[in-house]
Order: sequence, then structure tokens, then C-alpha cells
Amino acid sequence: MKIWLNTLLLLVFTVVSAPAANAASDNASCLTCHGAMQGTVEKEKGVLVNLHIDQAKFEKSVHGGFVACVDCHLTFGPNPHQAPSANVAKAVKDMANAISAKSKVDAVAQAACLNCHPDMYKEYASSIHGRNVIKKRSGDGPVCTSCHGSAHYIQPKTNRESMVNHFSVVSTCGNCHEEKSISEKYGFSPLVMERYLESFHGRKVKLGHPGAPVCSNCHGAHDVKGQKDAASPVAGANKKKTCGTAACHPGATDKFIAAITHKPLHPIAHYSEIALILLTLGVFIFIVVHVFLDIYADVRDRLFRKGNKHE
Amino acid sequence: MNKHIPAEIERFDLSARIQHVIMFTTFLLLSFTGWGLKYAYADPSSAWITIWGGAKTAGIIHRTAGIIMLLDFLYHQFYLLNLWRKKDLRLTVVPMPKDVVDFFQNVAYYVGLSKKKANFGKFSYMQKFDYWAVYWGMFIIGTSGLFLAFPVMASYVFPTWSISWAWDVLFIMHSDEALLAIVFILFFHFYNEHLRSDVFPMNYMWLTGKMPIEELKHKHPAEYEYLYGDKGKK
Repeated sequence: MKIWLNTLLLLVFTVVSAPAANAASDNASCLTCHGAMQGTVEKEKGVLVNLHIDQAKFEKSVHGGFVACVDCHLTFGPNPHQAPSANVAKAVKDMANAISAKSKVDAVAQAACLNCHPDMYKEYASSIHGRNVIKKRSGDGPVCTSCHGSAHYIQPKTNRESMVNHFSVVSTCGNCHEEKSISEKYGFSPLVMERYLESFHGRKVKLGHPGAPVCSNCHGAHDVKGQKDAASPVAGANKKKTCGTAACHPGATDKFIAAITHKPLHPIAHYSEIALILLTLGVFIFIVVHVFLDIYADVRDRLFRKGNKHE
Repeated sequence: MNKHIPAEIERFDLSARIQHVIMFTTFLLLSFTGWGLKYAYADPSSAWITIWGGAKTAGIIHRTAGIIMLLDFLYHQFYLLNLWRKKDLRLTVVPMPKDVVDFFQNVAYYVGLSKKKANFGKFSYMQKFDYWAVYWGMFIIGTSGLFLAFPVMASYVFPTWSISWAWDVLFIMHSDEALLAIVFILFFHFYNEHLRSDVFPMNYMWLTGKMPIEELKHKHPAEYEYLYGDKGKK
């Protein structure tokens, strides 16, 4: 039903705006329809394409105003009636092929980032994320939009709405790194997120501390490496350097850097916690009972034993 | 022969009163700023910390207040030493077997099993509890706080075999025992010194340091007996 409606809508808009679309390839032509269309169509089984573009939001994004739709949606020509062509640069095409397991809507468009951001792409391609996606063709690792959100609405990193802003990037990483299936498959601690969030670092970030580190401050972002990779900033001797930067913990020692591991709580720490909670609870119960007994006796004395105040 | 009995008696000298003011001022600052960090993921915490100037400023307030409190505590030890030197130090706040007797007598009085109140000395077991709780707090929260505030320096102190749990234990000690301290002050100390019907709205001794002799006789009969009783040696 929805597809049928959408098709009808598409037809109407195409007829109305076809002359303009034929003449120009600017965003306005695309947005004439895609700004108004709502809902999704099923491209192939299980692959839903959202047809709607929020024009106002797009205009305010980092790409709004100077990136044309067809700069990324390279297979689409200026004429919407033409079938998508495969006339795409080889680098983009290779990347699109590589991420096709992940990106079923428009792999070319998701690969097209590398046309304008080649440095980032190079870093990403060498990272554990990039290698997993490009070399191993896995459906797990992130592509650009997994962390930055849809290219239509990307905000600068300094904007709180950005998915990679200092105060939102932890939950962005958590989208995957909180997943038990991912931690089991790739062999990292399933408590990475939990242990980070309860650490001083995580708490301070939550409270708005601009200097407290988020995931990317220690692990890197586009060039993030696996924990066993010697090039990782938190692997082996690198960790001491990473923790020990002037702004953080200058002079960090081997024993100091053991403080943050994201590993489960050591049994000694676990049982110390239980012991201290029991102590707190015990004292609490004792003083509450004591206070209430005192109130009881005080009221009783005032009501019924007025005479013996100064015994 | 009757000795002269004054109308009131000084229980806390000026130095002790100032120590107390510094102690509770820093205690409140530490509680207010630390609470936000302990419950960072509870809803009002971010707004609460904003009131304290944001996470960074709140952290500086917390550390400064912590150091002042530790210095206050340290000063208290010298204060005691000085009293001892002047032979003015009576060990009236040291827990004694009599406190156990007093405790059972007091509870018996509370529940109506006995009509006789406990024969408290200069400090009741509740006040001794109050006093020594600070030592416990200083030992557990103070040392762990100092280590957490200067973690790189602290890392030299810890033996290698302890580092896989020492940091977490420090954090747990600091945070859980701080909660214990807050709960203790909020329920026990506030009740005994603020809300109790005979002291409400507060026991003014923290300002005057003095207690009327009638109150002493009533609340600390053993001390009254010690000072002015027939068998008194003073």
C-alpha cells in the first residue's frame, strides 16, 4: 500500500517537475521530490530506502550549500529517468564493492566520501575497523556514516548534535561495543562500556568535563587499532605515553596505567565492595533504629513521665 | 564542704570550635561536590554539578576542601598533643567497657525495661561514636582520596602485585565510605544535635562551647559527679 502510494506520488512529482529536472542537476531538482516524499521503499528484500530528505536540516549540515546530491550519489545522472549508470571512478567502485555486504542502499554513495576526504579514508582503511570492512568484507565494522550519521545531516564535531562530539561519541562507539555478540566475536571485554562509564573518566564526561577523555582520546578515531596491534596507542609501552601526556597524567608509571583496563572488577575489589556496602548498611540500620528508639523514649517521657525530667 | 559550682561549663575551647567549623564546612563542600560524581548518571546530577561551576570547578573545590579537611584533622592531633603537654588531656572520649554498659542501660531505658537513665560520663557512647567516626573517615576516605587526587604519585606507593585491584578498591573505599559518612551525619549527628526535641533547632554549643550546669547534671551525671560531687578530687 505504502509503496503503491509512494510510486504514485513519485509519478505525479516527476510529471510536474520533469522539465526542470531535465534542465538542471542542482539539488533543488532532487529535493523537489525527495523533500516532500515520506516513507520508505523496499529496494530488494529486507532493504528499505528512506526517500525523505529534510531539506532544512540538510542545508544546515556541513555538506549543505555546496555538496550536490550527485556528488555522492554518483550512479545517478542529472536525468532521473535515466537508469543508474556504473560510470564511477575505480577507487570508489572498489570501496563500494567492499562495503556492499554492509551498505545495500547506495554503496557507491557511502563509498564516495573518499573522493573529498582521502586522508581520512587512508587512516580508516588501515584501522581495525577499515580492515574488517574493506579486506574481510565483514558486515560488522563501521563505515563513515555508522559513526558520523547520514551524510545529509552531518554536524561539525563541536556541535553537541554531532554523533562524534566529545559528549556523544561514547554512546556512538557503544552502539557496537556494547553488543555482546561483537565483543565475543572479536575477543574484547564485554564490560568495556560499563567499566568506562563507571570510571572517573566516564563520570566526568557525563557531568560535562571538557578535559576528561572519551574513547577516541586514548584509542584514536579513524586510525583505531586492535588491542593486540603494537601500533595501538594503548598497547604495551604506548599506553604509558598515551596516559602520560602533559594535559593528562604526566609521569605516568607502569603501575599507574593499570588503573584503567575496562576489564571486569578483580575479585578482591568485588568482595571489598560487598564488605563495605554491608558495613554501610549495618551502621545505617543501627543508627536509624537508635534514632527511632530515642524519639520514642523522648515522646514517651514528655507525655507520660513529665515529673522525672531531672531524675 | 561545698565547692563553688558555676552556672555553665566550657566543654569545647575556641580552637576546638574552630576545628569543628572547618571540619563541617569542608565536609559539606565535599559531600555536595562528591555526590554529583558518585551519582553522575542520576538525572539531577549534571544540573547539580553545573551549580558548582561545572565538573572541572567542582573537582577543584572537592580537592581543595579535602586537603583543608585533612590539615584540620592533622591540626587536631597537634592540639591533642599540646593538651597532653599541658597535662590538660583527659581521656574522656576514649571508648571504655563502661560504654557497653551505658549502651545496654540506655536501650533498656528506651524500650521501658529500666526507669534509670544511663550514667553518662563527659561523653556518651553516641558522642564517642561521632568523634571516632571522623578518624575512620579520615583513615579510609582521606587516604584513598589523597591517593586518587595524586594517582601518579600514589602509583609509586603501591606494590606491583596489588595494582590489578588497588585502584578499584581505592575508588570503592572513597565512594562507599563517603556515603556512610553522609548517612551517618544526616541521620545520627543531625538528629542528636539539631532535631532532638531538647536541642532543636540546634545545640548552640558549637558556637558557645558552653553547657549549662543543669544540662550537664542531667545529661552527663557521671561527669557532674566527677567535677562537683562529694567524692570529686578537684
